[in-house]
Amino acid sequence: MATLSVQSVKKSHGAATILKGISLDIADGEFLVLVGPSGCGKSTLLRCIAGLEELDSGAIVIDGANVTQSEPRDRDLAMVFQSYALYPHLTVRENLAFGLKMRKTPPSEIVTRVAEAARMLEIEPLLDRLPKNLSGGQRQRVAMGRAVVRRPKAFLFDEPLSNLDASLRGQMRIELMRLHRQLSATMIYVTHDQVEAMTLATRIAVMKAGELQQVGTPDELYQHPANQFVAKFIGTPEMNLIPADDARKLALVHSLPDGTAQVGVRAEDVHVGHGVGAADAMVEVVEHLGWEALVHLRIGALALVARMKDPPAVGARTSITLDAAGLHFFDGTGARIFSSNDRASAQRARP
Amino acid sequence: MLFAPAILAAHVVLWHAYRGEEERALEHVVKTWNQTHPDETVDAVAVPYDAYSQKLSAAIPRGNGPDLFIAAHERIGDWRASGLIQQVPESADDDGYLPETFTPLHDGGKLFALPLAFKSLALFYRRDQLAQPPDTTDELIAFARQKRGAGKYGFAYETADFFYHAAWLHGFGGKIFDDGIPRLDSPEAIRSVEFVLALDREHLVPGDATHVLIAQLFNEGNAAMTIAGPWFTGEIAPGVDFGVARLPIVSETGKRAAPLLSIESVFLAARAASSQAALRFAHFLTGADGARIRAIEGRQTVAARAVWDDPRVKDDPILGAFYRQLPDTIATPSVPAMALIWEPVQNALRKVLRGAATPAAALHDAQARIMASIHLLPTPVSPLPYAIALGVFCLVALIYLSRRAASRLGQARKQRAAYAYLAPAAISMAILVFVPFAVGASMSLYHHQAGRFTFIGLQNFISILSLREIPITDPLSFYFTLGVTILWTVANVTLHVILGVSLALLLRNPLLKLRGVYRVLLIIPWAVPNYITALIWKGMFHRQFGAINGLLSLFGIAPVSWFSHFATSFAANLATNVWLGFPFMMVVTLGALSRIPKELEEAAALDGASAWERLRHIILPLLRPALLPSVILGAVWTFNMFNIVFLVSGGEPDGATDILVSQAYRWAFVRGSRYGYAAAYAVLIFLVLVIWSALARRLSDKEAEA
Repeated sequence: MATLSVQSVKKSHGAATILKGISLDIADGEFLVLVGPSGCGKSTLLRCIAGLEELDSGAIVIDGANVTQSEPRDRDLAMVFQSYALYPHLTVRENLAFGLKMRKTPPSEIVTRVAEAARMLEIEPLLDRLPKNLSGGQRQRVAMGRAVVRRPKAFLFDEPLSNLDASLRGQMRIELMRLHRQLSATMIYVTHDQVEAMTLATRIAVMKAGELQQVGTPDELYQHPANQFVAKFIGTPEMNLIPADDARKLALVHSLPDGTAQVGVRAEDVHVGHGVGAADAMVEVVEHLGWEALVHLRIGALALVARMKDPPAVGARTSITLDAAGLHFFDGTGARIFSSNDRASAQRARP
Repeated sequence: MLFAPAILAAHVVLWHAYRGEEERALEHVVKTWNQTHPDETVDAVAVPYDAYSQKLSAAIPRGNGPDLFIAAHERIGDWRASGLIQQVPESADDDGYLPETFTPLHDGGKLFALPLAFKSLALFYRRDQLAQPPDTTDELIAFARQKRGAGKYGFAYETADFFYHAAWLHGFGGKIFDDGIPRLDSPEAIRSVEFVLALDREHLVPGDATHVLIAQLFNEGNAAMTIAGPWFTGEIAPGVDFGVARLPIVSETGKRAAPLLSIESVFLAARAASSQAALRFAHFLTGADGARIRAIEGRQTVAARAVWDDPRVKDDPILGAFYRQLPDTIATPSVPAMALIWEPVQNALRKVLRGAATPAAALHDAQARIMASIHLLPTPVSPLPYAIALGVFCLVALIYLSRRAASRLGQARKQRAAYAYLAPAAISMAILVFVPFAVGASMSLYHHQAGRFTFIGLQNFISILSLREIPITDPLSFYFTLGVTILWTVANVTLHVILGVSLALLLRNPLLKLRGVYRVLLIIPWAVPNYITALIWKGMFHRQFGAINGLLSLFGIAPVSWFSHFATSFAANLATNVWLGFPFMMVVTLGALSRIPKELEEAAALDGASAWERLRHIILPLLRPALLPSVILGAVWTFNMFNIVFLVSGGEPDGATDILVSQAYRWAFVRGSRYGYAAAYAVLIFLVLVIWSALARRLSDKEAEA
């Protein structure tokens, strides 16, 4: 297992700049998820780490060794591709053994390690089949098995679950977490799905247009998004953003820090209630999710989403308040303005 | 009533293959005749030379042929035997022909044609290089020695061509036929070959000279003399001052070298509709009036004696020279066996000139081969047992098919529309494929000679497959040729695949600039018609003037006589066909490569595979299924790649590089029209390929399972 460091990596394809100087340190045993909208450069960054793309500048360091100029085969990393990239002419067993054979592992060890990986991923009955005779989920397991069997320094995953249906995806997420715990391996995982990122990651790096927006634990990102982009990208439903003028006019907020352009509030911090700062809202739509519901509210031109256990009826008028502790303030550029809320939580975090 | 005169009038159709001034002169004669004979008009039809004799033998027996046709006299025996021509009555006018041109038109004492013109070889020389042509071979050799230099010759002609060599053979006192029996190994014949060998060894004549090369040497002044026929005048560059003279006297014997004489004659076709009118026109055409027009306007060396008194003809330097050569010519024998002479003797000449055999040994071999092919006539067999066997087979097949059909009749009725749609394709397949196949296959049970087919059962096959007549080491042996063909196929397909796949892999490299340009350049060999490529490569492999020996000489390697040894000749064929064949494999591979996801290679790279290991373990195994059908097909194409073998090596040396199809071609069209024997070859080729496709199918089925 290994630590991995990405140092001011820049990369462009012709005129298009894909990565604009990314620096990122990944600790041993960490499950880092690179997340961002499509085209943000997250897959390119992963391919740079794997050695499949050459850097324009910057360095990739694995376990203290600079591997920027090394061939992929010399980096000792394993990658699981979105398309699985199983060798179609080889059986599952041969697919698993391929990497070991290429690395001149003794045959007896290959047998035991293939058996071990197959057991871990529960693909033992499939060992003599060809990839074309496997279902999507089975192929996914084989692809992971092919990485596991190698015992690489780190695992790289490139949107590995995006070709699976929803239920299988949920199942495989659990599987991946279990695998990470069992192997306590360093893993870098690329996805555009923030739910996957939140559930799997020990740390998330949010990217946009070739730049890192924020790196932190899922909780940090959720509680303290560094900017408006992260705030909106992380969490379902999206964070409500209220222009500062509207917030003042409706008196939803006591006081705004200087320079506030937008006030952010998550759905769970919007409450039905009366009293100071209450505003009159109309219930437009109610999305029932079972044990809770998403309530779409309208205050004049302003639309808000609230998360509630007991939703009011559609068309009802109700009075709402915002939880002062759950307010996020962003300036005109979208960057977070540090407020008393942050200080309070910082104090809570520091015992 | 208006049409009555037209119906009564005779109309004579004349076929000829003349072009240029000869054609214009002929038309002039025809016009003159038609003006004076409006009720016996003649229509001259120009037929392309290439297919002339095939057209004659196809059209005349079916009544679609001409009344008269113009051709060289050599095939009188053949045509008479196959009933293509009629006897021409002798007449008082016949004294008007030069006897040398008239006597050979008889066969078995009967006259079969009237002579138009005579054509033979003579000595062409450049007046700027020698004022007086040599009159003896000693003079000729002395002059050639004096002229000899780098790429320069005093004398040049096609030494390996028997048509030219025959002049020396006669000059040394030899004969092609002695009392009707081929006699190519007489001491005189051996002496004549020794004479040419000495010329060649002393570099007094260029080796491996072709017709085109000779013309080039002569025009550029690098050859002062050559032996050629009247057609050569058309190839001499304007401005070259040349003269024509008789061939020299062979100093050793004191006899003048006597070339073969070809007599262009007019034949009366069998089934001619208006033979009387046709004969009258033939006499006019060959007689003094017609001949004068032909000599003066068509520049023909005519057979009518009277014309040679005319100073315009007599004093013409070219016509006059051929006229003077005439007494020293030997008419080309017109017996059918002549067709069997050419190939063995040419092979013998080439063998001697490249030093593979002594003149005596080579000629003895040739003589033996000629005698064998003359005596190979098989005995006729009753077709009855075969007919019975065929009948029984058809009956069994019919019963079997009708039983199957009966069980499916209900089904077939339902799918009537489907059968209707299939019918046009099925019928054209039957006409274009099955009928010719059946005809070809049944022909293999016949022996063909002079237009007659004799049923001989399986004797063709027995003769091909048994080693009684031809030992296995002889290039003519079926097994030898089969071995060469298999070697040829395997070597070609292997190189096609290796080269095609390598180039496709190179072209795939994203770092390669101008990829599109290279791709187009590499496909070009495929786009050029392959006979053109073949002729270019043949030229490049020429011993003296070819580009390949030119390149080798830069590295100090002595010129290789490519077509003299099996290995080099085979390599020349191989190089040509590889050049032609690799683009196809490259295109197939490029297509297959584009269907291999890039991620597979990336996965393998991360799995620790080097570039070579990725190729070996991932790319190549994934290319296999796409390449296999192309390899199977390519093997069939190569197995039957007639053009390249025929045009590049032409089977040299001694037929050793011939493959089965080119061998079959030679049996049919070079060695005396042995159509049955050639058909048997074709059937055997078919059987070999049936076995191959069965094997290939099993191979690809296995692939599909995997």
